[in-house]
Amino acid sequence: MSGFALSRRSLIAAGIGGATLAGLGGLPAAARDLRLRMFWWGAKERAERTDKVNQLYLSSHPDMTIASETLGWTDYWARLATQTAGRNAPDVLQMDYRYIFEYARRGALLPLDAYVPKALNLTDFSPAAVDSGKVDGKIYGVSLGLNSTAMVYDKGLIQTLGLKEPVWNMTWSEIGDLAAEVTKAAKRDGFTGMEDGGGNEPLLEVWLAQRGKSLYTAEGKVGYDDKDMTEWLAFWTDMRKRGASAAPDVQALDRGEIDSNLLSLGKVAMTFAHSNQLVGFQAINKSKLGLSTFPDGGQGAKPGQYLKPAMMWSVSAQSKQAEAAVQLVSYFIADTEAGKLLGVERGVPASSAVRNVVTPTLDDLGRAMVDYISLISDKVGALPPPPPRGAGEIQSVLRRVNEQVGFGRLTPADGAKQFVTEASAVLARG
Amino acid sequence: MADTLIDAPASRQALAAAHAPETSWRESATGYLFLAPWLIGFFGLTLGPALVSLYLSFTDYDLLSNPRWVGAANYVRIATSDPKFSAAMHVTFLYVVLSVPLKLAFALLVAMMLNRGLRGLPLYRAIFYLPSLIGASVAVSVLWRQVFAGDGLLNQALKLVGIHGPSWISNPDTALYTLVALAVWQFGSPMIIFLAGLRQIPKDVYEAAEIDGASRSQQFWRITLPLLTPVLFFNVVVQTIDAFKAFTPAFIISGGTGGPIDATLFYTLYLYQEAFAYFRMGYASALAWVLVVIIAVFTALSFLSSRYWVHYDG
Repeated sequence: MSGFALSRRSLIAAGIGGATLAGLGGLPAAARDLRLRMFWWGAKERAERTDKVNQLYLSSHPDMTIASETLGWTDYWARLATQTAGRNAPDVLQMDYRYIFEYARRGALLPLDAYVPKALNLTDFSPAAVDSGKVDGKIYGVSLGLNSTAMVYDKGLIQTLGLKEPVWNMTWSEIGDLAAEVTKAAKRDGFTGMEDGGGNEPLLEVWLAQRGKSLYTAEGKVGYDDKDMTEWLAFWTDMRKRGASAAPDVQALDRGEIDSNLLSLGKVAMTFAHSNQLVGFQAINKSKLGLSTFPDGGQGAKPGQYLKPAMMWSVSAQSKQAEAAVQLVSYFIADTEAGKLLGVERGVPASSAVRNVVTPTLDDLGRAMVDYISLISDKVGALPPPPPRGAGEIQSVLRRVNEQVGFGRLTPADGAKQFVTEASAVLARG
Repeated sequence: MADTLIDAPASRQALAAAHAPETSWRESATGYLFLAPWLIGFFGLTLGPALVSLYLSFTDYDLLSNPRWVGAANYVRIATSDPKFSAAMHVTFLYVVLSVPLKLAFALLVAMMLNRGLRGLPLYRAIFYLPSLIGASVAVSVLWRQVFAGDGLLNQALKLVGIHGPSWISNPDTALYTLVALAVWQFGSPMIIFLAGLRQIPKDVYEAAEIDGASRSQQFWRITLPLLTPVLFFNVVVQTIDAFKAFTPAFIISGGTGGPIDATLFYTLYLYQEAFAYFRMGYASALAWVLVVIIAVFTALSFLSSRYWVHYDG
């Protein structure tokens, strides 16, 4: 009998234990339902702003948590692809024009049309801003801000040297002359007026567009020929020869991020970047920086630059709490309080309501960016077709070929031929 | 319950037969339980992914779409029409051929110096071993970049003697050699092994040689080196495999580009680019398996050649 009693007691104990376990398991399970994962690329400045917006959002959504994660540009795409393949994608993710077509067409992103206007408030977006996040007619990305390519220059230094600052209507050769003057006036070892832009794909894209060409055709082939590329590589060979732009072994120090950019390393006074990056550049440069356009195509040239979403929010198709994820996205892009915290660090807000509230609160840097976007608004062309599959590799091919020419391994003509051949092969392979 | 379904004699027979294996099964179960962490790790984290990658190497897989079977196409491309594969091979072989002998020679030299009954030996041993502990880390690669940059430590030192050095890490003629230097600097682990090997050589052999009038260099070539060959062999094999797999230094120093002009495009870096920068997982898997075969061939060659130069007799 005692055995029975014991077993009955242990049964009760087990029952209590089980109930406790269930209770313990139940609570986090409920909380987990409202846990959103957010993933984006960017550095410290962006992290602080994003975090503040998340905190503010959570203060009115107390039963929710946001796990926010960040990486640098290159690592970001490696991680995002791996997580997506592993069915472990974050709910809210930062998307770029370069990748949105690939992700959307492979079903990795959630079409957001059904959530407009209730969960996703796009009322104050211009139709063009909404369209910039569309793939095959459906909304897959929501613009976090407009930007364009831009030259970032060392305003403080150029003023100290008593030279004229770059302005929007300076042609390629005028900018080249200015760079040569800066080199001469600065008289610093290993310092030149401008970075070597020969390996810079966005810069090449603008230069091609001014000639009526493009990086890629709508069919996903290369949009230029040997002759274009010879001229391009020869221009930069001349720039190096004149001492206007950086020597190849200096240029090779640039690893494609703000902190290794030659402007940040104190090796040049002018560099080619994107307008929203001004905040990031200024954060690590002591001298005052300015923003100008890429060089002008001169008489009769077509518009070279274009406005594009600097980055977008997308929602993963794998998200189990899509509704909540979309609401969070909407908060980031349409709420004025969030807009104030974000400023223009991710680009100039696409929502006119947010823009109107944000603009007066901006510091000099932010205002320079807004001014820049309005300055170029009537000088830009249409958004080019999205980069085809394999385009990422062409960026590194361009960089390598420009290095080969720079180090004297190839003539501009041979470099051009090799680049066109390799780029075509990459696109054919996909 | 089960007993009622089977007639008694048969079940008793079965029990008898099962008895012996059962005890041994229990014993081995304990063994397997202790092995479990390793087994789970091996099957889950090594063998499983390896087999998946073998499958993927026969597919076209971009992570987002499903893998598409392409047969041996990836391997055919590697063998016939991939200029970057040859470039990466060239860089990697040069790195292996330069870094392994230099590193081992350096390790042996330091080991022999430390073997001369130094006071405070453990301290020196630890100091010399330190670079190897931190060597593969990101921090050291970053440091290396600072040392060999255009206005880095090395050039500032050279400036004192009036030499204007190039930017070593960003010049295609010198970039790889800075990585070789980094590898040689991490001579710690072969040095420790050499040191242990040197301790094994009996003193009386040297005494006898000295009495016979053998010079220092004769003693080295006739006694030290031959008696050290088993240790040397081990070091050659391990270091060669390591050198083929080198990744971090090139990744950090070139910022993942393998530049300038692919001068530091290590095989593993190329593989990484294909997989994680260009999302060609299938092709990258094929590259990985080719590397496995290359390393296996070199290891096999080392073992085959060992019978001609490794002396196991005391």
